Amino acid sequence: MFDVRFIERVLPALLDGLWITLAIAFLAFAIAVPWGLCAAILHRRGGLAAALTGGYVQLVRNTPVLIQLYLVYYGLPMAGIMLSAFACGVLVLAFQTGGYAAEIFRGSLASISVRQFEAASALGMAPFARWRHVILPQLFLRSLPALTNQAATIIKDTAQVGVIAVMDMNKVGQIWLEKSGNPFDVFIALAAVYLVVTTVVGLAGRLIERRLSFVQ
Amino acid sequence: MSVALENLPYLLRGAGMTVLLSVAAAVPATLAGLCMALARRRTPWLGSLLDGWLFLMRGIPLIVLLVFVYFLLPRTGLDLPPFWGVTLVLAAYYAAFMSEVFRAGFDALPNAQWEAGRSLGLSEPLLLFHVIGPQALRVALPAHLNLCASLIKGTSLASVIGLWELTLASLEVVERTLAPFPIFLSAAGIYFTICFALDRLARRLEVANG
Repeated sequence: MFDVRFIERVLPALLDGLWITLAIAFLAFAIAVPWGLCAAILHRRGGLAAALTGGYVQLVRNTPVLIQLYLVYYGLPMAGIMLSAFACGVLVLAFQTGGYAAEIFRGSLASISVRQFEAASALGMAPFARWRHVILPQLFLRSLPALTNQAATIIKDTAQVGVIAVMDMNKVGQIWLEKSGNPFDVFIALAAVYLVVTTVVGLAGRLIERRLSFVQ
Repeated sequence: MSVALENLPYLLRGAGMTVLLSVAAAVPATLAGLCMALARRRTPWLGSLLDGWLFLMRGIPLIVLLVFVYFLLPRTGLDLPPFWGVTLVLAAYYAAFMSEVFRAGFDALPNAQWEAGRSLGLSEPLLLFHVIGPQALRVALPAHLNLCASLIKGTSLASVIGLWELTLASLEVVERTLAPFPIFLSAAGIYFTICFALDRLARRLEVANG
């Protein structure tokens, strides 16, 4: 049942896939955070901007990632846009996570008192300086716990990019599950790596949180 | 667009399967989640066991669990059809999250509610049914509905191990018609309609709760 020598053989293959998983998750997250922030700030303006960003958030919240992946991977070439499977994976996950990040930032933004804006402009700060020095630092601090959760979620979501032929860790694991005739050990190794990665991300988030709140 | 219209009945049949699968998984997940939330109130050692379960479900992607069960089932000698295999995994996965939602619901009630019920001489089941349950569930319901929407989206992963539902149905149609854009868009539209309705309901309940 539990064969250490077999796991010693599976693990390097899985770790090769892990780099792809982490690369997709990292790139998508790096795009999603500023993208979500822009959406949240736009949403604050109300009117058409709020309707559009609200619609965007509902769209990503209420459709499966899998369908989004298929739509982009098989649909975009029809429109003459050729992207690699890897790029499609990053794009879809960034789009998806951006929606959740927008929700997170919107919530934190609503919790920041209007007086903060008023006080900053009373001090004569220009709009950009107001955001840069007064609002954004508070916004990030308040959003950090939820963003950490989202970072762990995006790593789990990358497991789905295997369906569009990206060789991420889950896809590698699936091939081993099929071929090795030892599904139990492959699963143990695969699950363990995912658990370690998501736990490390959670701990890192908490560490950053603690340091930043200490600064404040 | 006519491709989408022609194939809409087929997709809707797939959606019927998605709903069936969702209900088959959501009902046991809800009951198990409720039992887990109640059980950990009275048995402390059970709490750490459930925390371990939650840790596993939080850290491992759903698709990994589904594929594993798909390969494991034939080896156990159990002749479980794929539908029930998928249902089992979805239920086990979401039960963990639902137990947290219900726990938060129970924790939201002040202890005085339990004490007042007991001092009236209510037995434990009566107390749960008439005093605690209705209040705690009202608090937990919006988050529970959001989890149900997440579960419905999760059923799309069943297509990866070949269980026929909306996502697999749309893949079949695309293979036949070579029109990915309208077909996947229609499938996304169907998912959106179901999940958005649940989302609105949750929002409304949240407002009603105040």
